[in-house]
Parts: sequence; structure tokens; C-alpha cells
Amino acid sequence: MAEPELSFADVSFSYRGDWLNRIHALTTVSLLVPQASAFGFLGANGAGKSTSIKLLMGLLHGHRGDIRLFGQPLGDHRARARLGYLPEQPYFYDNLAVGEYLVYLAKLSGMSAADIPAACDRVYQLLDLGDLRTRKLKSFSKGMRQRFGLAQAIVHRPDLLVLDEPFSGLDPLWRARFKQVMALERARGATLFFSSHILSDVEDLCDHYAVIDHGRVLEQGRLADLMGSSPIELTGSGPKPAGAEDLPDGTWRVLFAESERAERLAHLPAGAQILRLDRQRIALEDWFVARVRAFHGAGAALPTGARTGGAS
Amino acid sequence: MIRTIAGATFREATRSRSFVLLLALYALAVLLSRVGGWISGTDGSTITANLVMSLQSVFGVLVAVATGTALVQSEIQQKTLYTVLSRPLPRWKFVVGKFLGLAAALVCGQAAMLALGIAYLWITGAPVTGWLAVAGALTAMEVLVMAAVSLCWTALSSPLLATVLCLATYALGHAVGSLPGLMYHLKGFQRPLCVAFASLVPDLSRFSYRDEAVHALPIALGEIVIRLAYGACWIALLVMITVIVVRRKQL
Repeated sequence: MAEPELSFADVSFSYRGDWLNRIHALTTVSLLVPQASAFGFLGANGAGKSTSIKLLMGLLHGHRGDIRLFGQPLGDHRARARLGYLPEQPYFYDNLAVGEYLVYLAKLSGMSAADIPAACDRVYQLLDLGDLRTRKLKSFSKGMRQRFGLAQAIVHRPDLLVLDEPFSGLDPLWRARFKQVMALERARGATLFFSSHILSDVEDLCDHYAVIDHGRVLEQGRLADLMGSSPIELTGSGPKPAGAEDLPDGTWRVLFAESERAERLAHLPAGAQILRLDRQRIALEDWFVARVRAFHGAGAALPTGARTGGAS
Repeated sequence: MIRTIAGATFREATRSRSFVLLLALYALAVLLSRVGGWISGTDGSTITANLVMSLQSVFGVLVAVATGTALVQSEIQQKTLYTVLSRPLPRWKFVVGKFLGLAAALVCGQAAMLALGIAYLWITGAPVTGWLAVAGALTAMEVLVMAAVSLCWTALSSPLLATVLCLATYALGHAVGSLPGLMYHLKGFQRPLCVAFASLVPDLSRFSYRDEAVHALPIALGEIVIRLAYGACWIALLVMITVIVVRRKQL
């Protein structure tokens, strides 16, 4: 197996809260991000996604455990030349123009002066920033800042693109464009690692995922395996097999696991007709909520009192 | 890398509203300095020259503190440095580049102030000698020391507190010069305590050659070099402290 692009092994991190309290932001986080994969890092607000990313980017330090980037221990700042990073709600210097800023950050990424104009033109085209290159960033809306944020993250063609809530503040058109740009980056050979709590985005883009909650990774793996674990749905007419439920149109439906597929099909009652055989689609949103609730029993559900409007 | 950071910092600083506004206020204050000369009743032109040279120091320090505290603290508070420090850039280079960019902006500001001040004195018929330029250069070094002070306080505290601490350091820095005279009256442990206190703050009175310059009293080249070297040492020390603080900072 190829060396993972990024790995966390038993990483924990705490920071000083009020007075002498320490807040444990991460508790033994272990992750493997394979090369050339698109990795969705899922978690609710405050779950530890941004903290993990900041540790990776060297913005936070003092963690326990081992973080490896491109197979090397974290610590050598030169490895960050191969990283692209879009922070959550990015802010930029107000008084620099888009063009100046992009050149500045490209230089800091170690690009040679000769390569910078072509690299900038590429991202101007990808993110429609060409007409804005002389505009100062203080006049930018949240969505425009996000576009510039992605531009600066990919201008130096990084091997690993780390995006913290990349779709935040974008309208539907720009969400779609961001997904296209991310797919292009992936086609170029870059590994994508992005955090989100919007599960449809992860479903659209990712082939690997991890779920983090309260600083702990609850689950990780291939998205295809997760989707593949959903039951098979058989719809038919005529005589019903055991366990089938009647549908209003006079047909019936039965659900079974992939492992039972051959046996179930072989033992259908005589005269039964198969109308449709599909894998039931997992609602990732429901799965995520159920998964997190199963561990902590908190989160999305409203308290009884709040639901009824009275005291609980 | 350092040059790249310094270049961006220079552009950001010189385009900031506080920088431009304080330069404009300096120009206005210089124009009004003639009033001080008129109401003094004595040699009005000398008073005007003294005021103009003092204004360069006061406004220079205000620009250094306003720009210095805003530049670094906004980087931390507004998180603009996330996209910078996530690149292959060690933090010490970031701090040094930041200071050099700020210093370049302040030197340009000081040069503009000095040129405007001398031009005004020349137009109004006040005595203009080459010693004014020397005084201007020493004032510029004082402003650079204050820029390093503001960088250091900013790394250690909030922007508002850093501004207050910078202005307190400026006041103390000018008071430290009178401590040797005071020490005659001290006894026992008070004297080393006073020396220790004095050594914690840069003696900004060393950069004050304005009164002498207005009266064309010469200063030895060696003395100028010593004063500039004193300023450079303080800058190096303060930038080093800032580097240590920023390296340990959790962002």
C-alpha cells in the first residue's frame, strides 16, 4: 500500500481555558488519508475538525501523538510548500489588491518568479477573479473572500489541499463551481482533505471519510463501503416471500442484507415477479446524526420543553 | 521570504488609514506651528523650528504605535496570518519581515515629515542648517525603537493595552535620561534598583538632539554613531523577544 499522504496516530491536544482549566480539544485522534484520495472530515461544530487542521498546518503546537505529512514527522516547515490551505472564514489584508496578494502568497509558497504569472492566470480563470485582480480585498463580500481563499490555496499546485469548511458563505452556483475546481485539483493528482458538516458535499466529492465528535474519531473508512452496507430492496408482485411488506399499489417490498442476496432470490415463492432490485440509498445526514447520537446522545434533538413550548 | 513579507507589510502599512491620516495631521500641525512662534514673544522662528522638529518625533511615534499595533495584532485577531504561516515560512522570518516592512514604511514617513518640516522652515525664514537633518535621523531611530516596542507589546497583549503600554514606555523612555541626576540623592539598595529600572526601558532622550540642532550646536560623528548603535541594539533585543513570544503562540 502506498504511503498515506497524511496520518494522525493517537493525537491528543489540549489548550488553556479560563484560569487553570485545560480544555481537551482532541483525544487520541487517529486518521489515515490515502494518497490521491478525497477525504471528508465530518463533524458537528466544535467537534475538533479545525483544531486537527490547525495542528497539521503548524498554527497550533504542543500535541501528543504522531502526525505525519507525506510520510515525514510534522515539524519541518519546508513540507508545507506542498500544502494548500483554506482556513474557515478566511480573512486577508484589507489594503492589498487581489493580484498583489496572490503573487505574495505564491512567493511565500516557494514558487519561482517565472512560474507565478501563469499560475495566477490559471486560478483567475478557475475562480473568475481576472476582472477583480486590481480590487482591494476590503471591498470583497464573504463569498468573494472564499473564492480568493480557494485561489490562494491552489495557486502553487499543492499535493495536499486542506480545506476547512470550504463551502461556507457560498451561493449554490459557487458551491457547484467549487466542487468542479476541487474535482479538477483531484484530477491533477492532489489529495483533498476537507472538513464539513454538510454531508451532501462529502457525498458528492469524497471517497474516504472520518467522523469526529468531541475530539474523538468515531468512525472512518471508504465511503463506498458505507454506502455498500445499506440493505438491498426487492420490489415484486404476485406471491409474497416471508417478511415482505405490502405496498399501496398491490406490490410488495422486502429488504435484506447483501450477504443474503443469493439465498433470498433463489427461494422466492413460485409465481413471484421481480419488478425492481436496488440498493437502498443511505441518507448520509440521518446516518451521521444517528452515529453521533449513539455515542453521546446529544446534539440535534430539541429538548422536550422546547418542542412543546412549556417547561419540561 | 523576509523581503517578501517586508514588501507586503510596507504596502499594507503605507496604505493604512491611520498612517495616511497621521501624516496629514502632522502637515496640519506644522502649518499651525507658526502660531506658537508668534505668541512666544521672543525669537519666533527658533520656537517654530523647535516645534516642527518635536512634532516629527511625536507624530512619528504615534504612527509607529498605531501602525505597529494594528499590523501585528490584526494578523492574530483577524487570522490573516493563517494563510501566511501555513506556508513554508518559519515564524522568526515572519516577525523579522514584519518589522523590516514596518521600519521601511516609518523611515519613508519620517523622511517625508523631515522634508516637509525643513521646507516649511525654509519658506517661513526660520534658520535651516544641516544639523536639522541629523536631528531628523536620530528622531527616525527613536521612532524605529518605538516600532520595535509596539511590535513586542502587541505580541504580548491586546491592541488597546499594547497602545497604552507603548505610550507609557515612550514617557518612561524620556524620563530615564534624568535618572543619573536623581541617583545622587539615593542611598543603599535604592541606587541599584534605580539602575535596574533604567536598564529595562530604552533611554529615548539619547535620540533627542532637536534643541541643539535648532541652535546649530554641533554633535560629534562618534556620538551620532553611538546613539544609532544604542537604538539598533534595543531594536534587535525587542525583535528577539517578539520572535520568542510569537514562536510559542497558539493561533
